[in-house]
Amino acid sequence: MLKKRLIGVVTVKNGWAVQSFGYHRYLPLGKPVCLVENLDRWGADEILVQVIDRSVAGVGPDYELLDKLALLGLGTPLIYGGGIRTVEDGTRVIQSGADRIAIDSILHEDESMVSDLSGELGAQAIIASIPMEIGPSGAEWVNYKTKGQASIGKGLAEVIVQGFVSEVMVTDWKHEGTPNAFDCDLIDLFPFKEVPLIAFGGISSVEQMRELFARPNITAISVGNFLSYREHAIQIYKEMLASAMLRSSTYATEYSLQANV
Amino acid sequence: MKIITVGVIDYGMGNHASVVHSLREIGFRVRVTKETAELDLVDVLVLPGVGAFPAAMRKLHERGLVTYLQDQARRQRSLIGICLGMQLLASASHEHEYTVGLDLIPGEIVQFANHNVHIGWNTLECTQHDSFLTSIDGQAFYFNHSFYYQGATEYQVAVARHTSTFAVAIQLGSVVGLQFHPEKSQAAGKLLLRNLIMGLAHA
Repeated sequence: MLKKRLIGVVTVKNGWAVQSFGYHRYLPLGKPVCLVENLDRWGADEILVQVIDRSVAGVGPDYELLDKLALLGLGTPLIYGGGIRTVEDGTRVIQSGADRIAIDSILHEDESMVSDLSGELGAQAIIASIPMEIGPSGAEWVNYKTKGQASIGKGLAEVIVQGFVSEVMVTDWKHEGTPNAFDCDLIDLFPFKEVPLIAFGGISSVEQMRELFARPNITAISVGNFLSYREHAIQIYKEMLASAMLRSSTYATEYSLQANV
Repeated sequence: MKIITVGVIDYGMGNHASVVHSLREIGFRVRVTKETAELDLVDVLVLPGVGAFPAAMRKLHERGLVTYLQDQARRQRSLIGICLGMQLLASASHEHEYTVGLDLIPGEIVQFANHNVHIGWNTLECTQHDSFLTSIDGQAFYFNHSFYYQGATEYQVAVARHTSTFAVAIQLGSVVGLQFHPEKSQAAGKLLLRNLIMGLAHA
């Protein structure tokens, strides 16, 4: 049975891992590499590193950070998002050690490029990251560069329906950083019911996780801030959720992993 | 006891850091190379890879590795294909265009129906109970693919269930293919790599 996933998120700004509140207030947490290493040790199902100042600055992906992460030899799948502008960027990010990429700003600027990216890397490697909020027309897509919001347009709809991306990460950007505040209406009002969704932003309580995982179109939940300041937070969440839909929280083995001994 | 040396074949598809790190952590000596003279000296060959099948075959041809690997398989040297590397072991793939593979394990690579993708942690079910997978039967491993192996059940060692049931580990003699990423499957993946490589090296 394919398990649902608990994804650990590390948000990076100005080279530092930060705790983010609604993507407008930030507290430094430390070196991104250290946080990623912890999530790897704690058995996260995937790790998402999102570098939030790369697209705004137009400086492309943070290859220096990717190189440092590659040196960790992570045993956990890595998703990278931030600054991906071209097919070459996406390819180089994968070549640098990411297993998948999350794209956001190019969905606003050049949807046609997403089909090229999908042709090169395969849809399984691409996640559409969509900040959303509830507005007059229901679940609306927010452009974090212009701060505007609107219904999902024809271009993005095409990207999603044609299967150029494998999953959509719906981010409740307003409530990001606020405990237990994720607005489930964003999931229930999302216009494409068959598309696998990842929920992110303000998800902190086990009850809310349970409620979200019960929805068939939710394949994963991403958690960022609420994993900080606590050891083994992923295992603790999984133990409390105690769900067969998730991979077990303990990974101990009775076998020695050392060969030739 | 002799330390086992694993040769990771570097043919320009993907980043090998996690594979290399996992193998070294287990205790194997690792060589990352595209040079056949160096690959001749290792105990077990590993063919990793992410990306598209036609591009991968093109790169193997450019480096003279297609005939080399076919020759090594004929000599019954141990070879493990991981993810795209497993798909390359098959006879051909329908990804983008029909492309002939290494043809070391009969079968073809086809797309999931309705553009489905298989992403995340899924449990393995061993179909041959004396195989190298017996110790990890029922455990979850990380998958990330939209094409899969279709071939005779005699080559299938383990299956997984998603929208259908399909092969996720295949074997013919000393050639083994793993559709999932053991190097990204934490402790379960390392245990599998350890058992598989030690089993092949001492066979």
